[in-house]
Amino acid sequence: MLEVDSLTAGYGDIPVVRGITLAAKAGEILLIGGENGAGKSTLLRAIAGFNRPSGGRVLLEGRDVTGMAPERLAQAGLRLVLDNHRVFPELTVFDNLRMGVAARADRSGFGRSLEEIYAVFPILKERTSQRARDLSGGQQQILALGQAFIAQPKVLLCDEPSMGVAQMLLPPILAFLRNWARSGTAVVIVEQHLTITRPYTDRAMIVRRGEVALSCPSAELDARLAELHEARTQAYARG
Amino acid sequence: MLGDLLPNLDVIVTIVLRGTAVGALFAIVAMSFNIVHNAAGIFNFAQGSIFLLGAFGAFVLADRAGFGLWLPMLVLVALAVGALTALQGWITLLPLRSSVEQDSWLISTVAVSVIIAASLTLAFGSQGNMVQGPLPRYTIIGVRTPGAFLLAIGAMFAWYVALRWFLRRTFTGLAISALSQDFDAARAAGIPVRRLQLLAFGVSGVVAGSVGFMVAPMISVSPDAGLRYVLNGFVAAVVGGIGNNTGTLIGGPLVGVIAALTAFYVGGAYQDLASLLVLVLILMFLPQGLFGRAAARKV
Amino acid sequence: MAAAVLPGPAADRPLRGSFNSDRQQVAIGTCLILLTGLAPSLLGNSYWEHAFQLVNIYIAVAVLQNLLFVDAGQKSFGQGAILGLGAYGLAIASGLNGMPLAAGLLAGVLAAAAGGLLFAMPALRVQGFHLGFVTMSAAIVFPQLLNQLDWFTRGLNGISMTIPALQTRPFAGISWLTLLVTAVPVVALLAHYALRQAPLGRRMRIAAESPEAARSLGIRPGIMRSLAFVLASVGTGICGLLYVPAVGFISPQGFLIELSFVFFFAVVVGGRGQLLGPIVGIWIVFILPTVFLVKLVEYKPLVYGLMTLAVVILFPDGVVGTFETWRRRRRQGGGGERGFRLEAVTRLFSALPDVPSADVGAAPVLTVRGATKRFGQVVALDGVDFDVRPGEIHGLVGANGSGKTSLLNVISGLSRLDAGRYQLRGRDMTRLAAAAIAEQGLGRTFQTPRVFQSYSVWNNLQMGLDARPAAPDPALAAALAALRDDHAEDSPSLLSHGQRRILEVVRVVLKDPSIVLFDEPAAGLSSVEREEFAALVRQLARKLGKAVVLVEHDLDLVWGIADRITVLETGRVVASGAPADLARDPAVQHLFVGGAHA
Repeated sequence: MLEVDSLTAGYGDIPVVRGITLAAKAGEILLIGGENGAGKSTLLRAIAGFNRPSGGRVLLEGRDVTGMAPERLAQAGLRLVLDNHRVFPELTVFDNLRMGVAARADRSGFGRSLEEIYAVFPILKERTSQRARDLSGGQQQILALGQAFIAQPKVLLCDEPSMGVAQMLLPPILAFLRNWARSGTAVVIVEQHLTITRPYTDRAMIVRRGEVALSCPSAELDARLAELHEARTQAYARG
Repeated sequence: MLGDLLPNLDVIVTIVLRGTAVGALFAIVAMSFNIVHNAAGIFNFAQGSIFLLGAFGAFVLADRAGFGLWLPMLVLVALAVGALTALQGWITLLPLRSSVEQDSWLISTVAVSVIIAASLTLAFGSQGNMVQGPLPRYTIIGVRTPGAFLLAIGAMFAWYVALRWFLRRTFTGLAISALSQDFDAARAAGIPVRRLQLLAFGVSGVVAGSVGFMVAPMISVSPDAGLRYVLNGFVAAVVGGIGNNTGTLIGGPLVGVIAALTAFYVGGAYQDLASLLVLVLILMFLPQGLFGRAAARKV
Repeated sequence: MAAAVLPGPAADRPLRGSFNSDRQQVAIGTCLILLTGLAPSLLGNSYWEHAFQLVNIYIAVAVLQNLLFVDAGQKSFGQGAILGLGAYGLAIASGLNGMPLAAGLLAGVLAAAAGGLLFAMPALRVQGFHLGFVTMSAAIVFPQLLNQLDWFTRGLNGISMTIPALQTRPFAGISWLTLLVTAVPVVALLAHYALRQAPLGRRMRIAAESPEAARSLGIRPGIMRSLAFVLASVGTGICGLLYVPAVGFISPQGFLIELSFVFFFAVVVGGRGQLLGPIVGIWIVFILPTVFLVKLVEYKPLVYGLMTLAVVILFPDGVVGTFETWRRRRRQGGGGERGFRLEAVTRLFSALPDVPSADVGAAPVLTVRGATKRFGQVVALDGVDFDVRPGEIHGLVGANGSGKTSLLNVISGLSRLDAGRYQLRGRDMTRLAAAAIAEQGLGRTFQTPRVFQSYSVWNNLQMGLDARPAAPDPALAAALAALRDDHAEDSPSLLSHGQRRILEVVRVVLKDPSIVLFDEPAAGLSSVEREEFAALVRQLARKLGKAVVLVEHDLDLVWGIADRITVLETGRVVASGAPADLARDPAVQHLFVGGAHA
């Protein structure tokens, strides 16, 4: 569904992502982990058109969409949910969801998708006429995901869905993404908190200094990471 | 001594009415500034000339064709000015697409303002023109008041309510609001940025142009008058807090009343000086406008 | 033919043009002004003599506008009013009130300077379009006031004034007036050129392009702005003085806002920042319409409005700027793998003896106690204690939002503590502004390197030397001379990100601070560049004895070079110690990918 081929990108001419290749298949969740500043967010933003890649290609359903403007990519079915649960603070919950239609192929299905998202997250229905800024961080994250759900994208990119979200809200959010993927969407999650996220994902990838350090089925991630980590702490402790 | 300074009731009513009416025009220009500013981050220096285009529309059409067609002509002029402003927006946004130079708009909007004023001078000469209005004079608290004054104040509220409805109820308006609240999130959501920014330019032209048409009888319809409205409209926007339409409802009339007071006590030619002083004082001491943090909340 | 494509010996050191053409532009500009200013008198053509007297005054004003607009970054739409203040000052004092000429000249300059100060005042608080509106409003109000204060200015009637002594023609039919009026734009042009070469010009430019970088180099942006306004206004006021005898009559109609627009547009059309730009600009914006539309005066504003719009859309660099861009593209020097070579400096540093390693007993150069910083409800720093000793590389790590950047901002003076104290070299810095702290010996770099494209690579380094308290010692001076020879004409736009990062680091080092803060320096560096950076930082600490604070996400780098590491979490210090001791500290594990499993 989404193929990224040796993508190099950054801010201005600062290369933060160096030749990353990845693929996200319909129905699967790809987890991308890595430390702060490793280039995970930049990678997602480059795929979604926010920074123009200086090299490599992005293919959506086989079509080259490298460097396309983010709003056009969204309309083409590639939807990025930004980190820090970004919603439109002065708009009501309902109007925020309504904005999801901007990237939806058929506007007529809005009501149906709205009912679905209300059914999964009743809190959105309860607060439908409240302004988004009065929601908690977790509720805003749910709203941001809901807005993306309304758009019914082919590919969903999700930047740090756990950021600013209370621990207890994470499992329902991740379960929602799991089900969403099952319906045929390719999902990519960038996340620092791997432990809680990993069980919901199919494949995992670790980015270090803008390059792929590790790529494996999610089930093997813990073991591979433990090896990596042990080697590193030993090196550090030796000084 | 004090008695000389305190005018009688008639004078007070006149000052307040005139000040509020003229201030309503400043508020209108300020609102049209805000629409573009919120959607595109640009301050259109030509907004005063655009307002004036509406007034010249009245001078050309309404004055000659009679008042039977006043309403359809208002619509026609407003739409024409809106289309022109959208075109201006398209030109203004062109270099921003690629260039590193992100404030070329400052130069290009000033250039457009000069172009409009120069074109109007070429077409109509540089002198001021008088335009007749459809409304008679009314007597308010003993003061004979031109109908256009009431039209101006009415238009301010009408456009305020209409814009509020547009920006908060319609999908397109909400999308423009979304643009001003979180530009990146709006793009990620697939909101067509450039098209909405052009639409915002167009709407700002319709607002300014329509009111220019309506209030032509109360202003001097001369090509260089646009500068006065751009200056005072900006002061009104800053006083009310930039981007905040509700603030303009206070900012505009306040600037208008200060101008009217200045005209009464000091002299008509000092009105713009008074506005400049207000502007400098506000920028020095209350750069967020009178309403402080409320200004950050955009309508 | 194919042989020509192969890299010959010349490719190692490609033919390089000069970094910019400022010098050539000054030479051409001076010739043009002299030619147009003097030739009409020599030929006895009094129409062109008069015309170019006014044109050259306008050129001088536009040169100053160019300086104000580009070098100082101040967008003023009111320079016509400043010109008018100079002219009216003289005409009112000497023409109307019979004061001696010297007093009149002084009055004119003072009036213009006062006008400049009036513009500078709001410029301290606001920038960009706010300032544009303020200056534009002033230009609208100025002629209104002249009309209104007719008891003082004679209003619409204007003031006639001639200075007969200036009309005498001492040489070859050239009058004193012509000489003066020709000299003024030449002087303005030379002054603009000289300013660019001088530390003051660089400081203005830094303040305009990056106020926070300016503060970190001890420059106060507000003072730079005000100074720019006053300099430009005094110069414009002198032009105003000459306007009076050149035109012989002044009235409010001569100083309408259109005049201010002419100056502004001339700079844009000629090419923003190009020294020759204002000359070409005034010729195009002012002369062309005057000559070709002589019967259609009212078309003038339309023509220059349209020209300006066309230039902004089609050739944003302006006429001269487009040529300069084209020249640069063909002949610019620098760049490549070794675009910035600092061996001369590193060799010098490595030859220095090691300073005694940072022992625990040494007095800290930086002491922070109980630092607390709140933003509304959010507590960014919550009682942080933090010490750095001379010669110590101190890593500062933590997740996003842990307070690293807040601490960095507090230390560099960009934000102030709500509670707590902060000392640098034993002096209290808690309430000092960033520029003052920089003067006390603090240097820093930024997440995106602050490298100024309008200056050559060497000039960018010089900015550090400008801020250096004492002159460099002979060995360093020799190393710097080598750097200058290598990079005086190199263009920083050809440097890779990593090379720019190193350039910025060297600039900070040349400032000679006792402590250097690095804000995420390794982001975007290649592994070779990372090594180079690490080596440079080690030299700073070991050879120069600088204290180094390293805020960095790249934990390998931090553990590789730091002597001590402090870990922040939600605004508190959760661990601090030697790297080897901290590696297995539970407080650090959340920073490592996979660390949570351990």
